[in-house]
Amino acid sequence: MDELYLDNIDEFVNDHDKIVTYKWLSLTLGIHVNTAKQMLFHYLDHKRKESSAQLHATYLVSGKFVDNGQTSHKVSVVREEQLEDVKAKMSLIVSVHVYSVQKALLKDSGPLYSVDYDAVKDNLKNCSKYSAIRCATAVPMSSLELQQAREMHRPPSPEPENKKPAMNGNGILASKPSAKPAKGIMGMFANKSTPKNQDSGREIKSEQKEDAPVVDAPKSRPAAKANPMMNFFGSQPAKKPEKNVKEEEAAQSSSTAAEKQRRSPQPEQKRGDVVAEPQKNTKNDSRSKNKRIEDSDSEEDKMEKKKRRRIKLPEPDSSDEDVIPDSPPQMETREASPSPKKEVEAVTHSYQGNSDGKIRKRRRVLKSRTFVDEEGCIVTEKGYESESYSETEDDFQPTKQALRDPFKASSSKDDEKKSQKKSSASANKGTKQASIMGFFQKK
Amino acid sequence: MFSDLSAQKEGSSLLCRPASEDQGPAVFERTSLAYSPSSERYGVGERSFSRQYAHIYAARLMQMRPLLSERAKEKWGSDVLIRKLCDLETGEQCCIVGTLFKRMELQPSILKEITHKKMKLPHNLLPQPARAKYISETDELILEDELQRIKLEGKIDKNKCVTGSVIAIYGAERNDGKFTVEDFCTADLPLQTARPSLSSDRFVLLASGLGLGSSRADSMLGLQLLVDMVTGQLGDLGEQSGAATISRVLLAGNLLSQSTQDKDASTKAKYLTKKTQAGSVEAIRLLDELLLQLVASVPVDVMPGQYDPTNYTLPQQPLHRCMFPLSSVYPTLQLASNPYQADIDGVRFLGTSGQNVCDIQRYSSMDSHVEILEETLRLRHLAPTAPDTLGCYPFYLKDPFILEECPHVYFSGNAPAFESKHIKGPDGQEVLLVTVPEFSSTQTACLINLRTLHCEPVSFSAFSADEDEESEMNISH
Repeated sequence: MDELYLDNIDEFVNDHDKIVTYKWLSLTLGIHVNTAKQMLFHYLDHKRKESSAQLHATYLVSGKFVDNGQTSHKVSVVREEQLEDVKAKMSLIVSVHVYSVQKALLKDSGPLYSVDYDAVKDNLKNCSKYSAIRCATAVPMSSLELQQAREMHRPPSPEPENKKPAMNGNGILASKPSAKPAKGIMGMFANKSTPKNQDSGREIKSEQKEDAPVVDAPKSRPAAKANPMMNFFGSQPAKKPEKNVKEEEAAQSSSTAAEKQRRSPQPEQKRGDVVAEPQKNTKNDSRSKNKRIEDSDSEEDKMEKKKRRRIKLPEPDSSDEDVIPDSPPQMETREASPSPKKEVEAVTHSYQGNSDGKIRKRRRVLKSRTFVDEEGCIVTEKGYESESYSETEDDFQPTKQALRDPFKASSSKDDEKKSQKKSSASANKGTKQASIMGFFQKK
Repeated sequence: MFSDLSAQKEGSSLLCRPASEDQGPAVFERTSLAYSPSSERYGVGERSFSRQYAHIYAARLMQMRPLLSERAKEKWGSDVLIRKLCDLETGEQCCIVGTLFKRMELQPSILKEITHKKMKLPHNLLPQPARAKYISETDELILEDELQRIKLEGKIDKNKCVTGSVIAIYGAERNDGKFTVEDFCTADLPLQTARPSLSSDRFVLLASGLGLGSSRADSMLGLQLLVDMVTGQLGDLGEQSGAATISRVLLAGNLLSQSTQDKDASTKAKYLTKKTQAGSVEAIRLLDELLLQLVASVPVDVMPGQYDPTNYTLPQQPLHRCMFPLSSVYPTLQLASNPYQADIDGVRFLGTSGQNVCDIQRYSSMDSHVEILEETLRLRHLAPTAPDTLGCYPFYLKDPFILEECPHVYFSGNAPAFESKHIKGPDGQEVLLVTVPEFSSTQTACLINLRTLHCEPVSFSAFSADEDEESEMNISH
């Protein structure tokens, strides 16, 4: 048995014409590295005594080296011929051992690297198994532990959102974005089909944590943050971006709104959130387009436009009707999920409830008016009109109406919500290229 | 010295036959140390870029003014007049505290670039070619405080000063409105907590500039030798037991090579680049595999650098865990920010990946990295040129680059050569300054002995075909 390895090495070197490095041998035979080095030496010795075999070896020399008064520890791989030379140059030799044995004379040490690289690559899991050093803490964490470590990052981070940023405005949120986008992005990488469920699953869990009042806030963050990442992955089904709108709007709610999120999550909300998750992906596509085109807009306009734009998008999905929750839970969901925009936007809108606290504003909106002119022809004209709207309305009812009649001209107050959607659509049309989603709007 | 430590074990050499079965192979335990990271101040949570950069300077001056007033009193007597610029009187000897601004002709300015484009000058007539140094004879030094600024002249070496440093100046204002400098002082080193004395030798390995993913692969074997040595596979028993005393590895930036940053990808047409993968993808995979080998055996701290896939502005955030699927399962992998601060066994480490030092090198006459390191320490500021010429996040409440506590080891990565220096502070502080060389070009890393605070370079080499032609004299490197 002791001599068996000699034959093994012989086979590798002579028959397979391999370069046998100590590391390769150790990983292949499953032995300690030092044993492998000794085996190589023995083999070399044995072969040379036996027959004048054409074998070449490289050695590893390490030791103290003085160069211009600077002492350094030098580790080098040298050919057999250079061994004595290099040994002489060192002031103190620490170790010498056989590095590799091969049939051909190596001019360059490049192949040594590739041999080791391949060996390690094939044995990535136990590359340190045969080394001479054990590290007690270097034990891979199980997936449960990993999850726990990530969960630990998240709950502390929502807390600081309620406090004023103590430092620099970059504040204590340090761990938060790293953990949350990590979670969201990790989810995306793990499995494209299920990440949303995972995310929502986790977030539903976290919603139930009483001590994380703003937990809903971070919830959409990972997904929201993950959205730009998802852009690179391209085709995500464009479903239910309207929930995204809610979340976008929620982004505009201030931290006072965050207080409201403390309301215990209700089942509808959960459902809404589950639905919300997949929609976040679609938000990306339009959002990325928006970002490119609307660079010069102010943040607020951007937010509003995006909000409006999103509302237009979910027309094709008929299942929307089923899962659209009632307005109160919707509002909560909206409040519940500030997107990263929140950090950029100085939030000024206060969001106090369903029916009060709406801020009425007037703005000029591009609208199309259809009328019959003197010749009896129906003419549709686009023009700016000022209209009043409020930030905090429900989007779903108006969305539904908007679905049916996107371009009906109307400026009455009761149709305000509808027109907000329409005007948003037309405003969008007016200011930027028609989105490909325009095909779906005509329904 | 590491070599001495490793060579102590006599007897067993590996140039012998393998021992019999009952003598099990030697396995050494890695020394583990108390480690506590303290880089939280460099984490940037919410990022709002809607603020102006003026706030950083205001915060900086506000924080450093009391420190400088104290130093001024120590240096020039406690009855020295410390005046604000608006209260200056001509001819009066006094001390002023403010931020330096160096007006340089050659400093790249976006306005000049735009003017050049507007005037539609030919492209080959570059208005601002990239240079190694942007200083010139016509530079002017100006001191700014909260309200005013004043030109400086006199005994102050403008070539050594950089914009953004907060100093105290002693002199008088002349009739023509310029301030004549007679002497100046900097905030100097902050206070240092005493280093605990250790009983045994323990080492921390610093390396930077691994340069993975580059087209030149010469340094890969050297890198492999480094990993093998640290993980205890390389070397004799003595060396392996020595390597077991390496308790931590710190990778200080530029893990990826500059060639992975393919600028063309953004300007090329999409149809040309659609199927091509970014160079950094493969490089990160290589890095992950390398880190896996390391983290399975030693705790590793990874700092991002200039060419790594993280944000550009300082402070650079840690590399994301999702890029390292294989190695991030190990708790020994620590992804750190740049700048980096941590307490390793009571020894405080502080350092950057070298961007701050390179920037100062460009805008001053100083060339030696270790000299620049000392200068930043004396100025009590990691990166005085941020945000002027070095990208930085617009802080507004506090400037996190101001040193509040003096480190024991202060390093910067990606230097052209290894240098180390011990300096002493006015209150008895002792700091080891280390410039970590770029591994891809020098094949050298540094080993710091925590007990003696002495740093030793470790170099790796392999043989290649051209070495035969070299004469005897040159073989050493």
